[in-house]
Amino acid sequence: MKKIVKIFFGISALFFSLSFVSKANALDIVFAEDRPDLRTLDPRITQSRHEEMLIVNMFDQLIAADSQGNHYPGLAKSWNVSSDGLEYTFSLRNDVTFHDGTKFNAAAVKATFDSIVDPETGSQGAVDILGPYKETVVVDDYTAKVVFERRYGSALTAFTETELSIVSPTALSSLGNDGFGMAPVGTGPFMFKNWEANKKVELVRNPDYNWAPEYMDGSGPSQVANLTYRLIKDTSTRVAALEAGEIDIAELVPPLDMNRFDSSGDLATVAGTVSGLPYAAFLNTTVGVFQDINVRKAFFHSLDRVKMTSDLFFGYAEAAFGPISSSTPSYWKGNEDYYGYNPDGAAALLEEAGWKMGSDGIREKNGEKLTVFFPCLLEPDTCVAIQGYANKVGFDVNVEVVMKARQDELIFANGYDMLVIRWVSLDPGVLIIPFHSRNIPEPGKFKFNWARYANPELDQLLEDAESAETQETKDDLYMQIQKHIMDQAIFLAIHDQVQTVAYNPDLEGVRFANGNWQLRMYDVRKK
Amino acid sequence: MNFFLKKLLIVIPTLYIAWTVVFVTLNIIPGDPVNLMLGGRPASDEVRENVRKNLGLDKPVLERYGSFLVNATKGDLGKSYLTRQPVTKMIKENMMPTIELSIGGLIFGVFFGVLFGIFAGTKPNSIRDTISMIIALCGISLPSFWIGMMLIYIFGTTLGWVPIVGDGFVSLILPSISVGLFFAGGMARLTRSSLVDVLNQDYIRTARSKGISKYNIILKHSLRNAMIPPVTLLGIQFGLLITGAVITEEVFARPGLGQLLLQAILAKDIPLVQALVVYMTAVYIFLNLIVDFTYGIIDPRIRLERKN
Repeated sequence: MKKIVKIFFGISALFFSLSFVSKANALDIVFAEDRPDLRTLDPRITQSRHEEMLIVNMFDQLIAADSQGNHYPGLAKSWNVSSDGLEYTFSLRNDVTFHDGTKFNAAAVKATFDSIVDPETGSQGAVDILGPYKETVVVDDYTAKVVFERRYGSALTAFTETELSIVSPTALSSLGNDGFGMAPVGTGPFMFKNWEANKKVELVRNPDYNWAPEYMDGSGPSQVANLTYRLIKDTSTRVAALEAGEIDIAELVPPLDMNRFDSSGDLATVAGTVSGLPYAAFLNTTVGVFQDINVRKAFFHSLDRVKMTSDLFFGYAEAAFGPISSSTPSYWKGNEDYYGYNPDGAAALLEEAGWKMGSDGIREKNGEKLTVFFPCLLEPDTCVAIQGYANKVGFDVNVEVVMKARQDELIFANGYDMLVIRWVSLDPGVLIIPFHSRNIPEPGKFKFNWARYANPELDQLLEDAESAETQETKDDLYMQIQKHIMDQAIFLAIHDQVQTVAYNPDLEGVRFANGNWQLRMYDVRKK
Repeated sequence: MNFFLKKLLIVIPTLYIAWTVVFVTLNIIPGDPVNLMLGGRPASDEVRENVRKNLGLDKPVLERYGSFLVNATKGDLGKSYLTRQPVTKMIKENMMPTIELSIGGLIFGVFFGVLFGIFAGTKPNSIRDTISMIIALCGISLPSFWIGMMLIYIFGTTLGWVPIVGDGFVSLILPSISVGLFFAGGMARLTRSSLVDVLNQDYIRTARSKGISKYNIILKHSLRNAMIPPVTLLGIQFGLLITGAVITEEVFARPGLGQLLLQAILAKDIPLVQALVVYMTAVYIFLNLIVDFTYGIIDPRIRLERKN
């Protein structure tokens, strides 16, 4: 027995002698997500905002954009649009090289865009963002002309999107589509070094980088020598690692912890309102109780979205009211005048529609209960809060927490009363996808008009807005679109999506990329 | 040798049945892999058709089943729907972390399990027996996510002794304890009860009356005879670990086969799930063979029986 005790102490001593925390000088950054399964780092193929967290630091676009979406010269020094709106001519920088030494030029632009529309590439995001792309003409080495089939109002924003980053044509042909996604080559401030599956991705500073957009503070290579994205799926582990100083920046920090860091001052925090569709629910206009517009309006009125949001997010997210978030271009302020919290008004609307209060607190009409089936894929706590508020005016909301596969099935079968959604997008043009009648789902055909709302007038507005000639017409058309959607009470916005970031207070220069989801690490430095 | 040949021959039908069951199950559960792959992202019909073609999902089910079996026998288990990488490569990448964690958990579990088992079993119904068995019960019943979080809180955040998500050997300590505790609990209980049985045998009484020292009786005469049940348990539990400890992997942000399988199932990544099942069935069969073989080493009588 003595021997065993000795062995025990021996092993304990060994553990203690090894118990040191090694911390490299290089900046470590955690890529912390609810979806840690990175699949590709190819901007042309990705459809994941999580993958774009890395891509945004390795690539540049023709037009650069800051977090507010203002445009600056990027890989293109300047650009002009032909009077018919079909041709975009870019005058390119001549001092840029890819990480593999390939010279950046008009041929690289052509190779990138042509490969995006090639079905072989299997693009999941870029091909839609490139819109009615026809071709790229190499005018000379440093002049590229992108031609569209028809007027494309969102084109300039599109050229700022991470998905339309310019990739090295040399690396593309040597690595192939699948290989490129595992070892991407761009022109950005950081270069790909190593990818350990399900664990981390390591990037190193691009020593030749000398083409930072003018909105950045720095110039020349970044001060961050090594950038490591550590995948930590579990929220509490991520926060613990941040507090232990093992990582410097954590994304998707729970609001409760953000609140704690802000009060203690131990860590710096920053939150960004994500542009695109807010966290919102489609109300199904084709089946069930929401076929009646008064019932939809009553449901809207029953929710105290401001209080709900502050209860759930401790002030880190704002309540949302319109079909697009307040940080999206062409957002219409008028959205906020609709459907304030008014339980009495909700009750009156339901009475008017013939739904009388039953003895169990649930309203009834012709022996039928006012029941809402609510499959919930995102944010179960928010779904339950909605359920609680709606119940007070007599709705019986049946929340079922579902996985993606189950939700798909219900969408195909038109078997739901409401469904939640949230999207990151830089342009209001995204509205055509969830609101045009051609995008109503059919059995076996997955589409996004989950309200199943069909209206030729709205369809026309959406189409016109897509090819609007001036910013004024575009803003006006999107105002009409938002008003139409609000009048019809088919899309119940709840709160803005928020990206919560906490970081080592010795650092500065942490900034959001356009869209307020990804972080650009180029400017990060010690104070 | 006949014995092992027989065992090996069972491998082929076992694998075939496992593959078929997986293929059929994954094809009948609802959910279109294309939708799952695209996440919640807006995508046009054109994109969806491209993806479908790219994955070979436009071909009929029977054709896919046939080509899967043919390719699998060639050792080509296909490409992942998710990453477009060969699935064997993905499994290889995640195998080392899993093996490291399994061995770490095994060392911790066997050491403390046997230690507590002897400690308790040599003096049944004493206070030290009761305390050891309460600790063992805790090891079995406390959920590993809770143990993991507590270990992180105490040793990582508060004391700062070990890294939470770092690299190298030190980062293996907390996860090994986290999976090893469950292991140790089972080992301790089984070692104890088995040891109590053996210590009541006549030959132990004889050994004692011959004046052999207490430690020699325990270590040389009893323990070897008491090890058959714990070794069986060891085989089963090691099999569980080597096919992935999904919760511990998640809490400590470690890569591993458990995470890989979870992701593959949620995303309906059929080739990857198939390959993982092939791997896991193979591991179980292999571990069973090893356990059978170990019986013979521990107890020579078992070898004799087999020959007869």
